[in-house]
Amino acid sequence: MAGEIMISSPTHDIEGAEDVALSLRKKTKWHETLIQGTLVACGILSVFTTIGIVIILLNESISFFTREVFEITNKSIATDIGSADTTFETTASGSTLEVGQIVRIDEELMQITAVDGLSITVDRGIDGTEIGSHAADEEIEKSVRVPFREVFTGSRWQPRLQQFGMWPLILSTLMISVISMIVALPLGLASAIYLSEYASDRTRSIIKPILEVLAGIPTVVYGYFALTFMTPFLERAFFGDNIQVFNTLSAGIVVGVLIIPLVSSMSEDALHAVPQSLRNASYGLGATKLETALRVVLPAALSGVTAAFVVAISRAIGETMVVAVAAGAGPRNFEWSQVFTNFGRTPFNPLQSAETMTGHIVRISGGDLSYNSIDYNSIFAIGLVLFLITLTLNIVSRRIVERFREVYD
Amino acid sequence: MENYENLYPVDDELQKFIDYRKRTGSIWRGVFLMSLFVAILVLIVLMLNIINDAFGLVAVENEIDPHSLVIDYQENTMVNMPNTLVSADHGDLANGIIDNDSAIGFIGHAHYQANADELRLIAVDGQFPTAETVADGSYPFVRPLYIYTALDTLQSEPAVAEYFRFYLENANLVVGEMGYFPADETLVADQISLINKLAGSPQTADSVTGDLALSGSSSLYPLSRQMLVDFRQAGFNGDIGIEQIGSTAGIEAFCAGDIQVLNASRPMTAAEASACQRNRINPVEIAVGLDALAVVSNPSLDFLESVSWNELSLIFTAMNFWDEIDPSYPALPIVRSVPSAGSGSLNFLSARIFSDIALENLPTAAYADIIRDKLGRGRGRALERDQRFLADGFIFDSESAFTTACASDEPPTGCSLGARDRDNLFDVIEQEIIVPQVQETWPLYDSLFKQQEIVNRASAKYPDAIVEFKSWLNRDFLFNPQSSEAELAGVRTAIWGTVMVVATTFLFSFPVGVGAAIYMEEYADQTLWYNKIIQTNISNLAGVPSIIYGMLGLTVFVRLLLPLTSGQFFGRVAEGTDPSGRTVISAGLTLGLLILPIIIINAQEALRAVPNSMRRAGMGLGATKWQTTWSHVLPQALPGILTGTILAMSRAVGETAPLIVVGASTVIRTDPTFFSRFTVLPIQIFQWTSRPQAEFQNLAAAAIIVLLIILLTLNASAVILRNRYSTSN
Repeated sequence: MAGEIMISSPTHDIEGAEDVALSLRKKTKWHETLIQGTLVACGILSVFTTIGIVIILLNESISFFTREVFEITNKSIATDIGSADTTFETTASGSTLEVGQIVRIDEELMQITAVDGLSITVDRGIDGTEIGSHAADEEIEKSVRVPFREVFTGSRWQPRLQQFGMWPLILSTLMISVISMIVALPLGLASAIYLSEYASDRTRSIIKPILEVLAGIPTVVYGYFALTFMTPFLERAFFGDNIQVFNTLSAGIVVGVLIIPLVSSMSEDALHAVPQSLRNASYGLGATKLETALRVVLPAALSGVTAAFVVAISRAIGETMVVAVAAGAGPRNFEWSQVFTNFGRTPFNPLQSAETMTGHIVRISGGDLSYNSIDYNSIFAIGLVLFLITLTLNIVSRRIVERFREVYD
Repeated sequence: MENYENLYPVDDELQKFIDYRKRTGSIWRGVFLMSLFVAILVLIVLMLNIINDAFGLVAVENEIDPHSLVIDYQENTMVNMPNTLVSADHGDLANGIIDNDSAIGFIGHAHYQANADELRLIAVDGQFPTAETVADGSYPFVRPLYIYTALDTLQSEPAVAEYFRFYLENANLVVGEMGYFPADETLVADQISLINKLAGSPQTADSVTGDLALSGSSSLYPLSRQMLVDFRQAGFNGDIGIEQIGSTAGIEAFCAGDIQVLNASRPMTAAEASACQRNRINPVEIAVGLDALAVVSNPSLDFLESVSWNELSLIFTAMNFWDEIDPSYPALPIVRSVPSAGSGSLNFLSARIFSDIALENLPTAAYADIIRDKLGRGRGRALERDQRFLADGFIFDSESAFTTACASDEPPTGCSLGARDRDNLFDVIEQEIIVPQVQETWPLYDSLFKQQEIVNRASAKYPDAIVEFKSWLNRDFLFNPQSSEAELAGVRTAIWGTVMVVATTFLFSFPVGVGAAIYMEEYADQTLWYNKIIQTNISNLAGVPSIIYGMLGLTVFVRLLLPLTSGQFFGRVAEGTDPSGRTVISAGLTLGLLILPIIIINAQEALRAVPNSMRRAGMGLGATKWQTTWSHVLPQALPGILTGTILAMSRAVGETAPLIVVGASTVIRTDPTFFSRFTVLPIQIFQWTSRPQAEFQNLAAAAIIVLLIILLTLNASAVILRNRYSTSN
């Protein structure tokens, strides 16, 4: 039969076939190579995207940490200095100056080459700044770097006021994530168990599209929902005047709602993948449906469910629009000691406004952002922390699935 | 044996145990089901919340009532017609008609009655002003006449209270012979008892002391004067005085506290009343009779019996000869007598005759006239520089100044643009003159179930505002550009922005994404380390927060590739302006990178679903790898790929955060191009939501509906595609 089909093909094909028979050597087909090259390039682009993200975040974060900001020393020059003077007296007050430091008087930058008591010797006009004369009592400003330590210990974030503690942003982010997890994990998992273990096919075919619709609604709409429904609802039903218009509680709850579909669909996939034989065995031993679901199916799918939880946390941390709309504008700066004395003023209080990492990035970049400002650099530093947290969580999630997956055959 | 019996429950206990487990089972089942319903409940509440905000009552306050513009325009037209005698004194008007053979005009009915033998009364729409037609309202030009005084005056000056009582008791007896029409009897009785309540029990004219000074309307002048005379005859012995300055001027003086008793031929408007209240004057309004305005002509115009509404408007605002109204009429010039501009009578007439004409129906030339009359000179000139109002002349600017401006280094846009068209003029009137401002808005639920309460509250709070039901989602909303006035704002520019950004996204990410997927599925050896890295990388990218992509886009597309994304490289940036990379292209490419992993993963799945036999068949026939992929695998996988791509696109449509970082603009009034600044729907929603005023929340809700409809359409088409694909196999 196959032979007949061959014969029925048009004659010129047969002529072609003769050509092939004449040279059976492998021919390099340039356009095939070209196409393959293009496809490879497409695949590699995604790698470049990651590399691009990492390089950009690192690069700008390095500018953030190496950036010079000038701090008032409370020290001033004791006498008038002309443009040729390189050694001059300073007042006794204020902080001490050290060799190698860059100082600023008016607009002129100078590098200190020697310190002798109150008199200092400098290189004038560093970085191309104009050398000029300065009057006595002119303030000396000392250059400082963004202190690496402060960023990860400080509790006030005001880059323009030389306050670089990132904790207000990180804590608010964690607060919202915790609230959202309290909402999303139980509801998402319970929905998944119902869909996978109890629901008929018909119910599933109705419910799943609804969850998909929920998952497909843009997050800015959820932000609107948090601000115009959730906050007034919380105010009226529970907290009255104690709750601010912008607060982390309503933002957190709504972020939780928006993550429910993610948790439930990933968990349901995991539960569904557990083989039927395990359930049958359990029923055979006299277990009820609930006992089977909670003691047999859920443990068997635990790796998948945990992975879903981890992805959900990552999603909550990276969620932007809901918090930008509903959580407030302005970092909730505090003092560490307040945590014990004035708890209500810290980011841990869910009833007041606070700004998360993502919210801060949106607000800062939404304004007229000058590319050479401390604010511009700072959002990339925040972005880097955010990227590292979410990346770690995503990798952890994948590891969990790979390491702890129960394989049934 | 004994051990086992103790270990397991038996009989009743066993039954109890089983019941307990069953009960626990069903309770938990309920709990699971409930959690599922929470998600559904939230979806329902979310939708209802949006609908609740997108429709409802609004109180809109216009700086100027649009219909008053029409009436003013028509008044102006009437008094500026040729052969028109204009006077505030109805006696002059009557004389004007008597003196000219082809004259017609409006005068108060009292004035007609005084000259009845020299004038000819004409019916309006078949109705003559008689006691019956006036009383039942079938004669159209009837207005109530009022006297006003302040509540304090009424209570502290017995002469005023007594005069009011006297007026009400006696006016109806004399109005007939004076040419007025009587007020409703029950109304008169009610008003007398009101005065008794406010000012105490009646006294006699001769017992009250004090003086009486009246001022205001000229229409009411004869009646009030007659009442004064009769009051004096009844025994009142204080001083009396009466002036006629017109209703509007009278009300103004009254509210300033300069007039004791006010005559008015129209009721006070809400705005005038609140001006009075501000001066601590509580006006007491007493209706004393009805006045009819008569249409009268010279007796020689005997062919006129009755005029229709349309004829009235033609006679007074358009035509110059009688035969233009009707060819059977003689070719005489139309000579008109009309009350002077700004008088209560003309205003009343104009409002009656032109009540059906909306601002939208006026001719284009009228718009220019309205702009000339109502717009300030400075603002008008600025707008005229932007774009001329008239093709052949200027309203505010002068020819020479305009020419000079055009010859300068930076000529205004008006030099190159043509004159504004009708719609544009209308927009100018709406935005610069009428200036509708939303005072307060109410959600749909309250609007439906507490309507009366809202209307009452609104009319107390905003006396000049119109309370109406408004769908924030309407035609204007879809077709207007962004505006800072909630009443005029729309989403056209945002929809265009979304369309263009998503188009860019598609053009970039579809070929690249499908290419990458083909490489991973058809070419790559998945066991090699670098392909594993690519695969891991793709799934990691899908988990990166979208805002990080925004920062990538900001650095790479907006700043690094500035010459390309701003259009400078293609010569699309005007000389001398700073190129900006915050364009549609940058936004589209950023979103392209964002959804690339989604497209790749979906396309990979679609390719994986193509049975291997297809590939083997292609290869077996001697096709190259690409030929097999292109002609066998891809067509099979295409529906799946497209479905995935559409879903990815809907993600891009709703994405907000990265676009804020990339630099979407706040107010975009012109349609975007690929190299212009832009805004998109979600950005618009974000900005409106962030504003504290309630009306912007309504706008946000309406924009959300538009966005959700777009997403629904996209998703529905994906579902249809998927279903068709799965049934055809």
